[in-house]
Amino acid sequence: MKRIFGLALGILTAIGGFVDIGDLVTNAVVGSRFGLSLAWTVVVGVIGICVFAQMSGRVAAVSGRATFELIRERLGPRLAVMNLGASFLINLMTLTAEIGGVALALQLVSSVNYLLWVPFAAIAVWLVIWRVKFQIMENVAGLVGLCLIGFAVGLFLLGPDWGQLGRQVLQEVSTSTEKASTYWFYAVALFGAAMTPYEVFFFSSGAVEEGWTTKDLAESRANVLVGFPLGGLLSLAIAGCAAVVLLPQLIGVTALSQVMLPVAMAGGKLLLALIILGIVAATAGAALETTLSAGYTIAQFLGWPWGKFRAPAQAARFHLLMIICLLVGIGTLMTGVDPIQVTEFSVVFSAVALPLTYLPILIVANDPEYMGEHVNGRVLNGAGLVYLVIILAAAIAAIPLMIITGAGQ
Amino acid sequence: MTTASDDQSPRWLDVHLHLLDRQVLDVHGVPIAVVDDLELSEVPAGQEIPRDTSPPVITALLSGPALATRIFGGRPPESRMVRTPWIAVREVGVVIKLSVGRDTQDLSWTERWVRDHVIGRIPGGRHTPKGEHAQSNDRGGS
Repeated sequence: MKRIFGLALGILTAIGGFVDIGDLVTNAVVGSRFGLSLAWTVVVGVIGICVFAQMSGRVAAVSGRATFELIRERLGPRLAVMNLGASFLINLMTLTAEIGGVALALQLVSSVNYLLWVPFAAIAVWLVIWRVKFQIMENVAGLVGLCLIGFAVGLFLLGPDWGQLGRQVLQEVSTSTEKASTYWFYAVALFGAAMTPYEVFFFSSGAVEEGWTTKDLAESRANVLVGFPLGGLLSLAIAGCAAVVLLPQLIGVTALSQVMLPVAMAGGKLLLALIILGIVAATAGAALETTLSAGYTIAQFLGWPWGKFRAPAQAARFHLLMIICLLVGIGTLMTGVDPIQVTEFSVVFSAVALPLTYLPILIVANDPEYMGEHVNGRVLNGAGLVYLVIILAAAIAAIPLMIITGAGQ
Repeated sequence: MTTASDDQSPRWLDVHLHLLDRQVLDVHGVPIAVVDDLELSEVPAGQEIPRDTSPPVITALLSGPALATRIFGGRPPESRMVRTPWIAVREVGVVIKLSVGRDTQDLSWTERWVRDHVIGRIPGGRHTPKGEHAQSNDRGGS
């Protein structure tokens, strides 16, 4: 049991990256429009985030430095401020969306308008950040979020034609009605979601919160190698369910309820209840991850004391900042903006934040002053360099694709 | 530039690589600031420097609103910068460690203000999560 809890940081980080509210819907949209023909982007993304999360976790364990401290140190103030601005906006938009996501999931259960749930969801997130131990937070949110495995169960219960699903994986565009640009827009969006920068901010800061040292390197690796592939699997299961049920019927996904439709058909009320529980936990977990990341990035950039292992009074500006972020999130949601659409715009900012986040990690992971004997091996450096090229290509393509396709409309 | 550490031969430090933008920890390992700028001993401006003058030395680490001026150019007013005298620096490694506590430092007055007027007044604000290891952020070193 202790082993499973030891993996909670990786699982929670991955859930926040792969199946937060925006990705839940995006995965179902992709499944309902392209079948499983975009599955390869998830696989590419999982490998990429494993490579860099592994490095950032190792740097944190060996040197005790979290990722954003390194970003400022290695890039200098100018580039670091650009990254900080972009990353902070991604965090703020995602945390807004996640609070909306918790509220939307609660609306499905209670039939009370989600706007009424928003303040309660935000206060619950704040109370957890204010009072709950980091380890308890990650264990509960991570493990309850695993209820989303219900999507995989649902896929099996649907009894699809596996051969046909397999053929979809190998095709490029599965339906003739979709344009190539839309296909590539979603490819970039899924890749960006898999590698979204707050995952490494949260993972490396979480490693410091848990006090990992050189002794915990194996645990760090296990967290990465279990957490992120699991996140990718959940994301594929959601797309798979949509591909089996919604694609043949030409049902377009616009709301959270349609994401769950295939599961309800396959597993009935019981599985649906499990999925809703999983969605509440996953979106709440993602809200915690992004709120804390917002605090971590700014505090690490400016050199403030940070961390949940300190009493709030010992990290006062860090906690004040997160309170302000949550209030901004509530305010934004109260304007009636669609929480799911908020996350779509964060793709634009990922274009700036992605390369500027992963380059310094790669540099420091090779610096013997920080890492001693634990510097990167050749294979990892090779993979890191290849992924920097992919990230750069995706970053350059993201904004034009978004404009051409009207964000995948 | 060289600095004499306790007993060994001088160690080379690159200002950009080893000092600027490094995290500063106080004697208890609590982060207090990032090095935004450095104060050097006086170099006479506009005059020819005699050959046998000793090179300028770092007299203090500066923190404050230097970020905007480092990006856009110019100089912040000296009164806004908070000095940490170089003599208080105990170790320069992957972080810069000081030999003084942070309450003796002006660096963290905003932190103190927010603590005393906002965060410390919210119920539970001074509660340390129980059972958590007393992590000091003081690992690594060089």
